[in-house]
Amino acid sequence: MQTLLPMNVYYRLRNALRHVCRALVEILYGMTVFGWVRGLRRERSEVERLFVLVTFGDLLGLPILPPYYTLRLLPYVVPELERWRLALLRERDWSDSVGHLEM
Amino acid sequence: MNAIVVLLIAGAALVIGYAGYARQINARIIHPDDKKATPAKMYMDGVDFMPASRNVLFGYQFKSIAALGPITGPIVAVTWGWLPALLWIILGTFFIGWVQDYGSMMMSVRRDGDTMGALSYKLVSPRARNILMLFIYFYLLLIMGAFGNQVGKTLMTRPSVPLGMISVTLMGILAGQMTYKWRRDIVLTTVITVGLSFVGIWLGTQPGVVGFFNNLLGLPQSPVLFGTVTRAQFIGTLLVLLFCYLGSILPIWSWAQPVNYVSFWIIGLGMLGGVLGMLIWRPSLGDFPAFTQWNIGPGPLWPMLFVTIACGAISGWHSLVSTSGTARQLERESDALPIGGGAMFLEMLLAVISLLCATAALGGMEGYKAAGGSGAALAVFAEGLSRFLTHVGVPHDLGVAYASVFLTIMGLTIMQLVVRFMRVASAELVGARVPLFKNTHVGTLVALILTAVFVWVIPWLTIWTAFGSANQLMAGLALMLVALWLKSEGKQNAWALYPSAFMLITTVAALFLLAFNQFKAVAAAKTSQSATAAILIGVIAVVLVVAALFLIADGWQALQRKRAAGPVREQEPT
Repeated sequence: MQTLLPMNVYYRLRNALRHVCRALVEILYGMTVFGWVRGLRRERSEVERLFVLVTFGDLLGLPILPPYYTLRLLPYVVPELERWRLALLRERDWSDSVGHLEM
Repeated sequence: MNAIVVLLIAGAALVIGYAGYARQINARIIHPDDKKATPAKMYMDGVDFMPASRNVLFGYQFKSIAALGPITGPIVAVTWGWLPALLWIILGTFFIGWVQDYGSMMMSVRRDGDTMGALSYKLVSPRARNILMLFIYFYLLLIMGAFGNQVGKTLMTRPSVPLGMISVTLMGILAGQMTYKWRRDIVLTTVITVGLSFVGIWLGTQPGVVGFFNNLLGLPQSPVLFGTVTRAQFIGTLLVLLFCYLGSILPIWSWAQPVNYVSFWIIGLGMLGGVLGMLIWRPSLGDFPAFTQWNIGPGPLWPMLFVTIACGAISGWHSLVSTSGTARQLERESDALPIGGGAMFLEMLLAVISLLCATAALGGMEGYKAAGGSGAALAVFAEGLSRFLTHVGVPHDLGVAYASVFLTIMGLTIMQLVVRFMRVASAELVGARVPLFKNTHVGTLVALILTAVFVWVIPWLTIWTAFGSANQLMAGLALMLVALWLKSEGKQNAWALYPSAFMLITTVAALFLLAFNQFKAVAAAKTSQSATAAILIGVIAVVLVVAALFLIADGWQALQRKRAAGPVREQEPT
């Protein structure tokens, strides 16, 4: 392929331009849709945490014994258990809610 | 002096500040270690603790910190002349602003993602945490008063604004519907809703619509209803309160989020157009004085300038955002400087652009005063930006309406989220003792009634000074925490300690002056409204001063404890 510049300079410029474009797109994503995604993740996790608490509360230290049929969900719950335990039992401060404001 | 020269000076300060000073501190004192797991990786709950890329977080941080603060403050501050305002914006960011944003972010990262409340409790004292809560509560109340005043009593009383504002709101609701319910592509949704918003803003400038709102608002000479509040201002404020009420009680996906999203594009395109217009026009600062006099308008240059430009140089709000949002999403420690420091330096540029809108764009001091002066800061910005926009082909009247709508939306999106936060905070703080506050509507209405009182009773410039003081007090606290944390780690802390001392001393002095002037005004007040306003702000100022003095005392004791205890050493692996 014929180019005006030497090939290595051309490829370097092209890669640099791609890098800059990708960075700009990510910055724009951060300024626009990222807040929505965080909000949706938070809402989903609140429902998930409640579900785990109600069905497998015993695994998290509460005296809620799961019925027989609920135990069929165990293979899906166990990989997430540590994450759920941290999320439920983590010490919270009122200033945490500032992070939930999507400006 | 030409506007482009001012921009170049600010750009040079950005490069030297970031690449020189900030990088040196980062490398020689903080030593970020990318091999260490950040809280985002350690906890990874998929919600609050979740690593995100540097560029995404940069955009998120910048959008969270850059709101109406860096736009409003510089416009008021040019009352002292453009030079003191410009110097504080540049030097404040260079030595203090980025230190706070970056320092609080790193402090949170190295302390397991603790937020400001927890950090104040652990590093200073339990009382410091309660004082921080007090600062934040007053800060939020004053934000509502300051922005509510400018939006409800100034911008919304322009007949070309309400329809544009309503259009953007409706398009926001449509965007939420299209995205969540109809599952449409985000690009298509954006093009349709933003395009229709522009149409709505243009329609708002048409003679029929302007005539309708002129009649509704009783313009041009709107009758006074009570105190100094005209019919136009009353209706404008009610619209603002209604918007905030809906934003607080409706699910976030159906109102707040999508309206915020659509308004981002309106604002972003407007700012881009304004900057392009400035680069094409290259206006000079005209006869705008570099320095007017020491004691004018808001008060003496020290300490009032430093609380008037609240954001744009340094802002306590940023430390809250850095600790409770961004620090918990950092993928690597080395990302903290470009995100925390970089976003603050970029906000400095936004403040400089705002300063140029008030000075160069308006042709001098006469233009500034004709546009409304320090008492109508957002109207001044709208006029200045519209003059820049004329150089990219936007007619002047449309440009004024467009800029007014985007400032209105910017103010409203902040206010509705603040009301939401105040509702949640009052339910948590007071709900156990007064169960009524757990009701969504009650909490919201209480916040809105307080807002209405502030908007209708207290003069805007007084609220803005009080707001700036509360904000800068938080900044002083954040810097004090950073200094204490550094001391406990055995690291040099002068680069955070001296800025903290400066902010605390300056802000306490500003609050003393504010309280003194307000109580003097009570004695001289001719109406009950002005007496009430003076008492309200005077009491708030006194409460904040007392709280700040307790904080300084506790901070000093904590520093002595850290000096006596020595640095915490990490345990050697056995």
